[in-house]
This record gives sequence, structure tokens and C-alpha cells, in this order.
Amino acid sequence: MLEIKCPYCGKRSQNEFAYGGDATVKRPELNKEVPDEEWDTFVYYRKNPRGNHLELWHHISGCRQWFKAKRNTATHEIIDTFELSDDIGDAS
Amino acid sequence: MSRISPLQNAHNKGLFGDYQEKNEGNLLKIREITDVNIYQVVQYKKSSVATSNIQLGSIKLPANAAEVSVDGQTRVQWFAPRSWIIFSNDNNISSVIENTFNNEDFAVTDVSHSRAIIQIKGEDALNVLKKGCPINFNEFKKNNCVNSVYHGITISVDMIDDSPLTFNLMALRSFSESFHHAITDAALEYGYSGQ
Repeated sequence: MLEIKCPYCGKRSQNEFAYGGDATVKRPELNKEVPDEEWDTFVYYRKNPRGNHLELWHHISGCRQWFKAKRNTATHEIIDTFELSDDIGDAS
Repeated sequence: MSRISPLQNAHNKGLFGDYQEKNEGNLLKIREITDVNIYQVVQYKKSSVATSNIQLGSIKLPANAAEVSVDGQTRVQWFAPRSWIIFSNDNNISSVIENTFNNEDFAVTDVSHSRAIIQIKGEDALNVLKKGCPINFNEFKKNNCVNSVYHGITISVDMIDDSPLTFNLMALRSFSESFHHAITDAALEYGYSGQ
């Protein structure tokens, strides 16, 4: 059984969690004219790194909180998890 | 307005499964808990009220994951950060809650009609839970709670007592019949008394 450490509940089985996408994507600034290309990049384009990757996960069957997880996409190891408010820089 | 039990068409009384040649007193007991007032309390993110100072009657709000605070007819479960679930048989609990949690800092929702609670009691309760839920119940203690899944259904487990082992299992009302089926199906191996 793969376990993921929820920052609020502790270690739990992965089937309580849902993947929520890339945590490094930044939404274009609000109330600003945004070129189509920038929207296009924000909505569709993602990096597909081999190695450490910062992801959003949702403890959907637990405390219902979103958090960030640093995961190695090659080994599937979850290196660490963080609260959304934690400023942790990039994934490396 | 009277409540319609979520399991009134699913839960049957009697003996089921492998109950023969077993002492009925030691059999697993499964019943639906009805007529409980259930409230969800969530503290707004903008709120700066220290919840450690808040008391619901004589109960302090649990501050950590898996904690339940108990006083007589009322139980308060830690549900998530800044979020709690209150269970009470006290019919005046709504006014107590209203006086305790102000509108500016807390969102209070009556979810009594939207949840189903199944109580399982007996030594085999642990085996029934282990069949469908990934939580390590060996480390579970009286007045611990946890949100998890049972055969894919999101549930909340509250350990009411450790002798005899008694758990209250809460699921969304819309999942209640499937959840009841999953629990009773898992219990057939041990035999159970529907109450």
C-alpha cells in the first residue's frame, strides 16, 4: 500500500487522495490584459519532467484539504508534502 | 418535521450470516443511529478567533487530527483544520451552537438529514472495518475519529467505546444503502445481529 503524508492528518493510504495537477503553474494576473499565447500556455502547456516534480494533491476522502507534494516522477517516491501556504520554491 | 431514516428500506432486524451455534450475546451487532443532530462548524479563513478558548457547553473543540471531545450526549469530532462535526442527542444543541459560534467567524450547517450513521458493536467490528478500510485500527483508541474510505465510499469512523468495541460509521445519505450493503456483507462471515 502506497502511503502519502497529509500535512494535516499524517500518513494515509493513497486511495484517500486525488491528484490535482502541476503545482508550479501560475495563473496570469487578474484584471490585466492577457495575450492569447499566455492563456494558451497557462491552460494547456505543462512540463513533463523526469525527476522531482511539485504537484497539487487533495486529501479528498480525509480532511478535504489541498496540499503540495514533491514527487519523483521516475521512482514515484513522494519526497515531502507541504501546506499550500508554505513557500518552498521550485521542486529541485 | 419528522425525519425519514436513510436506511429504513435497507436495514433489517434479525440474525444474519454465520450466526448459528454462536452465543447471540457475543455476536456482532449492527444498527442504524437515527435522530441525532449533526452540525458542521467551519471557521472562516479570515477569522482570527482562537478556537482553543471556545467551549461548547463544557466541551473544548478538539485541536488535533483524530481527536473527539465528549460530554454526555454530545460528541465533537475534529474533521479538518478549522472544521469540526458536532453530534448530539440534546435537542437544545442548536441554540447552544448558535450562542457559541458567531456568524462572522464561523459557518454552521445542519447536516442531520444528509448523513447516515451505522453503529457496529462487538469484537468482530475491527475485522469488518479492516476488510474495507485502509486505516490501521490496531492503533485506534477510544474517542479517536478518522475520515477514510470503505470500499471506495467516503466515511467517518468514530470509536465510541473499546469494551465492547463500538464504532459509529458515518457516510453521506446518498451512499448509505451501498455502505450498509458493504458493511453487512463483510459481517456475514462472522454472523451479526441486526438491531
